[in-house]
Amino acid sequence: MTIARDALGVGLRPSLHAYVVEHRPDVGYLEVISESLMGPSPLPRERLERVRAHYPVVLHGVGLNLLGHAPLDEDYLDALCRLADAVDAPFVTDHLCWTGAHGVSHHDLLPVPYVPELVEVAAERAAYVQRRLGRPFGVENLSSYVELRRSTMTEWEFYAAVVREAGCWALLDVNNVYVSSVNHGFDPEQYLDAVDFSRVLQVHLAGHTREPDGTLVDTHDHPVADDVWSLYRRAWRMGGPFPTMLEWDDRIPPMPELLAQLDRARAVRA
Amino acid sequence: MKPAPEWLGELQARFGEVLRTPLDRSTGTLAAATSSYAPEALGDVVDGPATSGRDRLAVYNRQYWFRLFRALATAFPITARVVGPWDFNEHASRFLLARPPRGWDLERVPDGFDAFLERSLEGHADGDLILEAARLDATWRRLTRAPTTRPFRPDASAAATMPDARLTPSEATAVVVERWPLMGLARSSTRIDRSELPRLPQPRFWALAREATGIRRWALEPREGELLLLLQRYRVRDALARLEASCTAEERAALPAKVERWLAHGAERGLWSGVRG
Repeated sequence: MTIARDALGVGLRPSLHAYVVEHRPDVGYLEVISESLMGPSPLPRERLERVRAHYPVVLHGVGLNLLGHAPLDEDYLDALCRLADAVDAPFVTDHLCWTGAHGVSHHDLLPVPYVPELVEVAAERAAYVQRRLGRPFGVENLSSYVELRRSTMTEWEFYAAVVREAGCWALLDVNNVYVSSVNHGFDPEQYLDAVDFSRVLQVHLAGHTREPDGTLVDTHDHPVADDVWSLYRRAWRMGGPFPTMLEWDDRIPPMPELLAQLDRARAVRA
Repeated sequence: MKPAPEWLGELQARFGEVLRTPLDRSTGTLAAATSSYAPEALGDVVDGPATSGRDRLAVYNRQYWFRLFRALATAFPITARVVGPWDFNEHASRFLLARPPRGWDLERVPDGFDAFLERSLEGHADGDLILEAARLDATWRRLTRAPTTRPFRPDASAAATMPDARLTPSEATAVVVERWPLMGLARSSTRIDRSELPRLPQPRFWALAREATGIRRWALEPREGELLLLLQRYRVRDALARLEASCTAEERAALPAKVERWLAHGAERGLWSGVRG
């Protein structure tokens, strides 16, 4: 199944399954967390089978560890390739980050210093992943809470260079751009200006939380913030259409509330 | 492929140490112990517009722990409710310090938590209760991961050989004994007071089976539960003999009809995947 260039999708989480099966909501595609289908439990795969005939399903990973010090985990990649084939995913995405090192996985999306030396490493690995998958592979920009002293490039320069040199795709998370811009004090519009929208495979939208000290944390547990909608509108005008996906991972409301967010996305880009 | 530079490995080692720094419990809340961060790790980061590099690292430090606490509490929901969040997170911290996550699969992080509790709760006043909760959670987890198996449905021709056969329990099913009213706790996350968990006057038995929509459970009659547990260890004939030996005369009289019904229910519920011998 293919995804319309202007499709609106939602992240399919376990609490939403029953609604999707029963009501078949009008969404253009579904995104599932790759690792939720790669574990030993057959239940998530069985559940997905009940909706897969009705929607294109794309895979979004959190465990590739693209920029870990160790080489890519070939067993993980084998499992990811099998899964992508099994669900006939139009594309697969993961993050431009590291998640573990020295044998320990931190189950978090962690930033690296933005330096040309790591552009080379990330690009070579991302290109390899895309070849292995045999389908488009997109890397997502992070939301981050810390900047590393060793960086010599901006995040957007680093991100654009990796996508360009890898020949892969960008999963542009507009909420992440906004969260990082507040946390690090840069102009989010300057970030968007550096994006090559011809390489944008998908855009993510999500909610965030403001900590008492002003730090924004990418919690995916709120509606999309007004400032993020504004940034989305700008991105759409600059480079739309592109498939857009709403992520909601914690304190997930009933599906109609998610669908209302998609309606807002339609209104914002009209 | 070109290897990542050595300095990246060193930086990630320092960053990882910060993430795994245990949270401070001394103030009655779980707070990042930022004074414990190594100076070299602090040297890797720059201050932000509004917060110091140290405080920025603390965001990741807290996220690491709370994400894992949540993974453990999700995997062991009954245990979490019985113990309460504060103590549960303390058990979880010690478990995670002893066994930091090793792979990409967050759902595997709680593997072995029940065995860890068994070792660490020796002599604990509520140890038996907590361990029963942990065993129930572990059983639930095992079932969710079990492969789908074709249930064994004996036909009339099997009747002659059945007494000498051993029934093979399906991997996707379990028979559990409940000595405290724990089974219903997994469905809610509200706090539970220890006084709401009196020991049951008689143990209760449950059959659990993973089905397409999740895990289904059936309350069993006590003797039915005993029989199903005996059938996991003995041939049908021996299991029945042992059950009969433990029954009163009155129970014995009604046993043949009941056993027939219980075995039929067991087969309907897919409790067995085959027979041996």
